[in-house]
Amino acid sequence: MKRRTFLSGVGAGSAIAVAGCSGGQSETTLTVATYSSFTGEDSAGNWLKSAFEDEHDATVEFKTPENGVNQFIQRKSEGAPVGADLYVGLNTVELVRADEQLDEQLFATADVEGADSVKSRLNFDPEDRAVPYDTGYISLVYDEGEVENPGTFDALLEPAYEDGLIAQNAQQSDPGRAFLLWTIHEKGADNYLDYWRDLSDNGVQILSDWEPAYNAYTNEEAPMVVSYSTDQVYYHGEGVDMSRHQVGFLNDQGYANPEGMAQFADADNPELAREFMSFMLTEAAQKQIAVNNVQFPAVEGVEPGGDFGKYALEPPEPVTFSYDELAGNVDGWIEDWAREIVSN
Amino acid sequence: MVLRDGRALPVGVAATLATLVVVFYYPVGSVLASAVSDAGRPTLAPLVSVLGDPFYHDLFAFTAYQALLSTVASVVVGLPGAYLLARFEFPGRRFLRSVTILPFVLPSIMVAVGFLAMFGRTGLVNDVLAVVGLGPVELTFTLEIIVLAHAFYNAPLVTRLVTAAWESVDPARVETARTLGATPLRAFRDVTLPQLLPALLTASVLTFIFTFMSFPIVLALGGLQLSTVEVWLFARVQSLDLAEAATLGAIETALSLGLIYVYLRFEATQLNARGESRGRARTPLFAGWRSLVDPKRLALFAYVGAALVLFVGPLVSLVVESVTTPDGALTLRYYEFLLAQQASTAAGTTRPLPAITNSLLFGAGALLLALPMGVVVSVVATRERRGSRLWEALLTAPLAVSGIVLGLGMLRTLVFGTTLFGYRITVTGPVAIVAAHAVAAYPFVSRNVTPALGSIDDRLVDAARALGADRTTALVDIELPLVVPALIAGAAFAFAISVGEFDSTVLLAEGVDSATMPVALERYTGNRSLGPNLGPATAMGTVLLAVTTVSFVLIDRVGTGWNQ
Repeated sequence: MKRRTFLSGVGAGSAIAVAGCSGGQSETTLTVATYSSFTGEDSAGNWLKSAFEDEHDATVEFKTPENGVNQFIQRKSEGAPVGADLYVGLNTVELVRADEQLDEQLFATADVEGADSVKSRLNFDPEDRAVPYDTGYISLVYDEGEVENPGTFDALLEPAYEDGLIAQNAQQSDPGRAFLLWTIHEKGADNYLDYWRDLSDNGVQILSDWEPAYNAYTNEEAPMVVSYSTDQVYYHGEGVDMSRHQVGFLNDQGYANPEGMAQFADADNPELAREFMSFMLTEAAQKQIAVNNVQFPAVEGVEPGGDFGKYALEPPEPVTFSYDELAGNVDGWIEDWAREIVSN
Repeated sequence: MVLRDGRALPVGVAATLATLVVVFYYPVGSVLASAVSDAGRPTLAPLVSVLGDPFYHDLFAFTAYQALLSTVASVVVGLPGAYLLARFEFPGRRFLRSVTILPFVLPSIMVAVGFLAMFGRTGLVNDVLAVVGLGPVELTFTLEIIVLAHAFYNAPLVTRLVTAAWESVDPARVETARTLGATPLRAFRDVTLPQLLPALLTASVLTFIFTFMSFPIVLALGGLQLSTVEVWLFARVQSLDLAEAATLGAIETALSLGLIYVYLRFEATQLNARGESRGRARTPLFAGWRSLVDPKRLALFAYVGAALVLFVGPLVSLVVESVTTPDGALTLRYYEFLLAQQASTAAGTTRPLPAITNSLLFGAGALLLALPMGVVVSVVATRERRGSRLWEALLTAPLAVSGIVLGLGMLRTLVFGTTLFGYRITVTGPVAIVAAHAVAAYPFVSRNVTPALGSIDDRLVDAARALGADRTTALVDIELPLVVPALIAGAAFAFAISVGEFDSTVLLAEGVDSATMPVALERYTGNRSLGPNLGPATAMGTVLLAVTTVSFVLIDRVGTGWNQ
C-alpha cells in the first residue's frame, strides 16, 4: 500500500510515496490492466472479477491507465516496474508497436488452457503471447431514409454519397484505424492514398474519435458513420426508429478487430494470470463478455443468444491484417494517410 | 499563511520554485531533452528534419492562422462584454460577472455536444432560420465553427481581464479630459484606451497561445482536415515516436515563450503608478423608453442577443440534451444512470458524488496554493532588475507548454518514479494533483495581480518601509489589500482551471478514488450501458455546470465581502 501524506498551505507541493523494491504485492492479488470501459458497473470486467474470486482464493484488481498499453510499453522501456500481471484489450497494431519499441519481451508466451478452442482466424499473435477473447467487426451504420446501402468502397465515391460519411481519426481511434486498414486491405498499400483522396474530394469527414463521430451522426450531420456491426444490439425495442441503425457491409466484408489478452513477462503472479485468461475462455465468461462488451465471442461454438444473438450482425466475409503484414508498415500507413487528409 | 518576518518572501520564492521544479520543469525538461539528444548524445537531427519538412511549414502556418482568427474573434466578442459589465448597471450584473468564467471548465467533448445541438445542420440556429425562411447554415466541419468554439472558450478571458482594468480607470482623468472639451470618443481614445491596452494585450497573447495549442475541440468539431500542430504532437505520442513529439513540443514552447517574453517587455513599459481609484459610477442600462432609441444601447442589446446565441445557446443545449433521448423524447434516464453509478459497488466505477467532492477539494487546494505562488511571482515581476523579464517569462512557462508534453513528462518522471537509494519514489495522488493544478493556474493569478501591484503608488510602500515595516509586512498590510479585486479574479481563474483540468488529473489520480468531474464525465462517454450515446456524459456535464456556477458566485461573494 502507498502511504499518503496530505499537507496543504504554502509550498507543500508534493506527496512522495515510497514503496520498497520487494514489490509489496501479496501472493493472491491479481492485477489486471485494461481499458476503463471494461470495468465498472454492468461491465464484463466486474462480472469476471466476482466470478473468478468465487472460484479462486484471490483478489482481482483493475488498472486502467488512460493511454492503455502504451503506459506499459513506456514503463518497460524506462526500466520502471510494469506493476500488473496481465493486459486485457490488446489488438494487433498495439502488439506490433510493443514489439517494435522494445528490445525485451513485454509479454510472455503463455500456455493457456482452452486457447486451442479460439476461432483460428482470430489468432493474431504468431508467437502465441496474446490470446483473443472477443472480436468486433467494423462496418458502416447508415440511415436508410436518407441513402441506399452503398455496398462497395467504390460506391462511396459517387455523387449520391457526397458529404455522406463520417469516419474517425486513425491516429487515435480504434474504429477509425480499423476502417483505414480495411481500405488498405481492399485497395492495396500503393493505391489506398488515391482512394482516400477521392473520398476526401467527395466530402468524407474525419472526427477525433468514435463518440464525437457517432454524436454527429445522431445529429444528422451525415447519413453514414463508421461504427460496429453490433449497432442494433443497443438500438432495438419500442419506439426506436431502426431505419437510422442499418448496418452496411462494404464488399460483403467487415474488418475484424480481435481483442486479446496477454500475460506480462514481469508478472508477479504468472500462474494466476494464466488461470484468469483460461477462465475468460470458458463458455459462461465468453457469453457474458459478449453481452457486456457488445462484441462477438472468440471461442468456437459459443452463442450468447438473447437480444445479442438476434441483433448482432456478422459480416459475410470477415477480413483483417495479420501481425506480419502490419509489422514495419502500419505506422507509416497511418502517418501517410493523415498527411494526405491534412494536405487535401 | 505568510510568515511575519523579513525572510517570508525568500521562503515563498524558494517554495514556489521547488514546486515548479518537481511538477513542471523536471517533467517537461525530461521530454524536451529528447528533442536534442539521442541515447545521451546531443543531436539536431529531429529538429532539422521537422524544420526542413514543407508539410510542417504548412501545419505551423495553418495553426498560427487559425489562432490569429480565433484571437480576433475572441477580442471582438469579449470586448463589448467588458464594456457592458464595467460601465453599466443592470439586474444580475454581478451574477453575470461571476459566471463569465464558466466556459473555462467545460471539457471539449461537452462543448462539441452543445455546439452541434446549437449550430449543427439540425441545430437550433438552423431551426430558427428555417422558420423565417432562411438557411440552412452549414457550420459543422468548418474553420468557422472552430473559431467560434475558440471564442466560446477565450472571449470570457478577454472580458474578465478587460473588465477589471476598465473598472480601475480613474474617473477624474476622464472628467478632466471632458472639461477640457474632448468628445466622449476622444476621451475614450486618449484616456481610457491606453489604460485598457495592457489587459487587452494580455488577454490577446494568452488567447493566441491557447488556441495555437488547442487540440481536442479542433478534431471533435472541425475534423482532421483542419489539424493543428497539437493534433500531430498527440499522434506522435500515440505511436511512441517521442523524439518527433518532443521536437514539435520544443518548437511550440519556444514560439510561445518568445511571444510571452516580448509581451512582458512591453507590459513593463506600461506599468505606471496611478492614484487610488474609486471607479466610475455605472450608467443604468435600462433608462425607460429612451433606452429603446439610444443607438449605444441598441448596439449593446444586439450584442447581448449575439452573446446569448454563442454562450448561453450551447450551454442550454447541453442541459436539454441531458434530458432528451436521441429521438427527442423527454427522459430522466441519464440522471438515473448517475444515481445508479453512485449506488454501485462494482470495482472501477467512477461515482459522481466523490467526483464532485474531489473537484471542489482540488479546486480549493489549487486556489490556496496558486494564490501565494502567483503573488510571489508578481512581486518578482514588479521589481526592476536586469533579467526580471526573462525570469518572469520562465516563471510564466506553464502557459507556454502543451498539455500533451507536460502529461508525457509527468508520466515518465512522477508516475513511473525514479530510484533513489534502492527505493522507488513516485509522486502521485491528491497532493500531486493539487500541485499540478496550482502550477497550471498561478500564471493567471500573476497576470491579474502584476498589473495591479505595478500600479500602486510607490510612495505608500516607501512610507511604510520608512516607518520600520519590512518588505513582507509592507506587502501583506499595504499592497495586497489594495489589489483584492485582482486577487479575487485570480482565485476564480485558479479554481476554474483546476476544475476543468483533465490531462494531469487522470495521470496522477490513483484509480477511481481521485476522479474529478471531468474524469467522471470522460468515463461516462465510454459507458455503453445505455447504448452508444453521450446522454450520461451530458448529465454529468450539467452537474458540473451547476456545481461550478454556485462555486464561482460564492468565490466572488466571499472575496467581495472580505474586501468590504
